[in-house]
Amino acid sequence: MLTKAELLQPLAEHRRQNDVVVTTMGVVCPWERLSQSALDFASADSAMGHAADLALGIAMARPDRRVICLNGDGSMLMSRGTLATIVESGATNLILMVVENRAYEITGGQPVPGGGKLDFAAVARACGFPSVFAFVQAEAYDAALPSLLTASGPVFVSVSVEAGNEGPIARGPGEEAIYLRTSIAEWAVRFRMALANS
Amino acid sequence: MTGSEEASISVADSMAGAEMRRASVIVDELAGCGATHLIGLPDNATAVLFSGSPAARLGINPVHAADGGGLARLTVTREGEAFAIAAGLWLGGARPVAVIQNSGLLESGDALRGTVTRLGVPLLCLVGYRGYASLGGSPTERECREHDRAEQLRSRHLDSVAALTEPTLAAWEVPFELYRGDRDVASVGRAWRLAERRRGPVALLLTGALQ
Repeated sequence: MLTKAELLQPLAEHRRQNDVVVTTMGVVCPWERLSQSALDFASADSAMGHAADLALGIAMARPDRRVICLNGDGSMLMSRGTLATIVESGATNLILMVVENRAYEITGGQPVPGGGKLDFAAVARACGFPSVFAFVQAEAYDAALPSLLTASGPVFVSVSVEAGNEGPIARGPGEEAIYLRTSIAEWAVRFRMALANS
Repeated sequence: MTGSEEASISVADSMAGAEMRRASVIVDELAGCGATHLIGLPDNATAVLFSGSPAARLGINPVHAADGGGLARLTVTREGEAFAIAAGLWLGGARPVAVIQNSGLLESGDALRGTVTRLGVPLLCLVGYRGYASLGGSPTERECREHDRAEQLRSRHLDSVAALTEPTLAAWEVPFELYRGDRDVASVGRAWRLAERRRGPVALLLTGALQ
């Protein structure tokens, strides 16, 4: 099982400057400690389970960009049909990573149904994802990361991580991440402009 | 081919042609507004806007309805997906339109709130108005007394989805307008512009005009 740092630090290092990264729930704050990009979008204080859909929309609008979505396992379960929709869309530039911590971490760590038992990679494979990866060890993840980021898309990656204790995500001028210092609506405008101009 | 078979195909052609024309009116308006994508889960009334339309099945090569009139189309598995994907498309610089049925609208409230409304996405939503006819000319039912309401929602004469559509939109602060047919074509552009001004969702309720 990886720590969140073991998952995110290598990803931050391999992330291209013009890649879009969509985060949600328990990954938002750990990612903000590693990245302050104008092309980061935190799908936080937003709809339940729809970060992957949001990322798919961006990927469809900008097929010239690689879009990486760091989704939660609880979020993925809330919108499993999205896996079929992603494949149906034909988007090849989307990398969907499901961070399996088996908990609804930011609402108090309640257990996710099926946590640790449900095989997300098998579900993604059954939905038709051409490239599917699953990791439970940091060494294997490190070794495969460069190739999975360039694999035939859409790419699905499940990573088993240790549950943390991230609290609710806050927005305000005192937040470390630039994208959490404003409302999600204001950041949406800035993000849209940054993506258009980058 | 028998005469009756030929007659059946002729009727089907005619019906499909009528559907195509009605769909083309809407698609023309959407294209004129600058729409880029149709995202959703269409019902019988709106399926002609997506691929697999009767015209396509009949081998017709329509300008709009079978190929989306240049609009990219994506069918989703649940209506909430449509709103989140539409929000992502807008973030990426596109101008999507959502196409769903009113029952799916009721199902997808938090997705609409958490993405389109919360992010300030100007989004025109074409909503199939299932059960509109069952409202009996009193579409909003706003004047009904509260103690009658629960009984009405159980009535076999009333489609409860239809009865709840407009009150729900009002509660979610989504402006709406009826689209009853070609005569209401101006409502497409009007709703589009309202969505832009409000930076939020606006619904056009299709009362079965494409069926």
